[in-house]
Amino acid sequence: MTKQTDTQGAWLSAEEAGFLTAGPGRAAEAVLARLIDQGLLRVSRDGLVSAVHQDGEGATTSVEARMLSFARNPVQFDAIVLATRNCTEVAQLYRQLLSRELMRVPHRRHDGRWFSLAVAGVAVVLGFVSPVFLVAAAIALGFFVWQNGSGPITQAGREALSQVQASDRVHVVALYGFDGRFRGKDVGELFDFPRRVVRTVPRRPARARRRSIWNGGGCGSSSSCGSSGCAGSSSSCGGGSGCGGGGGGD
Amino acid sequence: MAGIKDLGVGIGWRSEIDLTVERLPGVDFVEVVAENLHIGHLPESVTLLLERGVPVLPHAVSLSLGGADEVDLHRVEHLGAVAEAVGAPMVSDHVCFVRAGGLDSGHLMPVPRTKDALDVLVANVKLAQRNLPVPLALENVAALLEWPDGELSEGQFLAELVERTDCWLLVDVANLYANARNIGTDPERFLDEIPLERLAYVHVAGGEQHGDIYHDTHAHAVLPEVLDVLDELCSRVAPPGVLLERDDNYPSDTEIASELAAIRAVVDKHRG
Repeated sequence: MTKQTDTQGAWLSAEEAGFLTAGPGRAAEAVLARLIDQGLLRVSRDGLVSAVHQDGEGATTSVEARMLSFARNPVQFDAIVLATRNCTEVAQLYRQLLSRELMRVPHRRHDGRWFSLAVAGVAVVLGFVSPVFLVAAAIALGFFVWQNGSGPITQAGREALSQVQASDRVHVVALYGFDGRFRGKDVGELFDFPRRVVRTVPRRPARARRRSIWNGGGCGSSSSCGSSGCAGSSSSCGGGSGCGGGGGGD
Repeated sequence: MAGIKDLGVGIGWRSEIDLTVERLPGVDFVEVVAENLHIGHLPESVTLLLERGVPVLPHAVSLSLGGADEVDLHRVEHLGAVAEAVGAPMVSDHVCFVRAGGLDSGHLMPVPRTKDALDVLVANVKLAQRNLPVPLALENVAALLEWPDGELSEGQFLAELVERTDCWLLVDVANLYANARNIGTDPERFLDEIPLERLAYVHVAGGEQHGDIYHDTHAHAVLPEVLDVLDELCSRVAPPGVLLERDDNYPSDTEIASELAAIRAVVDKHRG
């Protein structure tokens, strides 16, 4: 898979860029895009995806190999994205991004952080009585910020991602998703798919909203990792130990 | 027959490869399996091809014209309705039977090449022709067995069928090759015996050898030997059209395009 790099040498494949941009689902979309681009997967008008070769020929990553295995029999466009998003290979991809310090395990948030915010507010008011309460306010505010977490993408991850260019249609999918828009056009048009095919994939936030999607719930903290799951197991989703921790974006 | 000349090189349209068929360069015409289409709800891809002016020819697999059972006119009417829906100049089916005694074989079974069997086939073909809005072409099938007591060669059988019904011929050179391998049919003699002036178009397909049997799978690459049979046919007559059939295990778009190019090269070799 073609990789792009930042000045620190953090190489990102399209599937890695997709993961950093919008979580495991976007990584799966990027993989799907590359396999279609390489003629290894075929899509029909009714949205059925099928592998051109039955032996996984052409896969360059374990995620690609997994997706090709899913497509030995025709499978719907959205279903193969979902199945791949949930596969153990994508969970492994997440662990690799963690080990390269492009991502971090987000702090697990709990309701106690609101209590610390309330304490900080009260301390600020009391600070008019005695300055020592201002110190307490600062401590409580710091605790609140720590509890709230700073998202799963590290500074190095953000920098690496900022270097990724939408230089081809595979990277366009990684950054914007099949159902996104790029330069005023639907991304799906780059593949000449009927609109209804790519619409089956839930729309992901665009690149500019990258931070908010990771902070806004997803795997581990919202319904997106329940029945549809991430990697299909509790060990790979939720608790900050799995596919995207506090993020996910899909 | 008006409109049937110079079909060019085509491919069997299948829903699994609809986008591929639409995008492939050099697809001059397509064939659809009539039983898979519903009148009033044509696949979007087929409609698109029609709008581009690509001829769409319905090909049936279930008329069972070689069977002793009465022809199911509902199937004939459906075939005719598909032909009208796509504006086809002709339709086709096979010289075979697919059901008997209420059982459906799921295969295109060869008919005994006897005078009696020919009489039955001729009667069924004439009945179908009377109920079709366009001419009917009939295709030779691949057979894994020959019925005993045959009185005619396959070429003679088809020639007499054409003479008595005025039907057209759809010659499948892959089936001819398979019969040569499996039951000893002589392709050159076959081509000598059939009325090539009644050739509607030609089928080409791939297959695979399993043990002693060659299977006309439509799921493997076209063998050079099959193209040799096409070459032999083209040396005798310029076929109005040649169509690649692929029904499963679809290769890459590039490979399909290569097979079409190989077919075109054989056809063009004799036109130059």
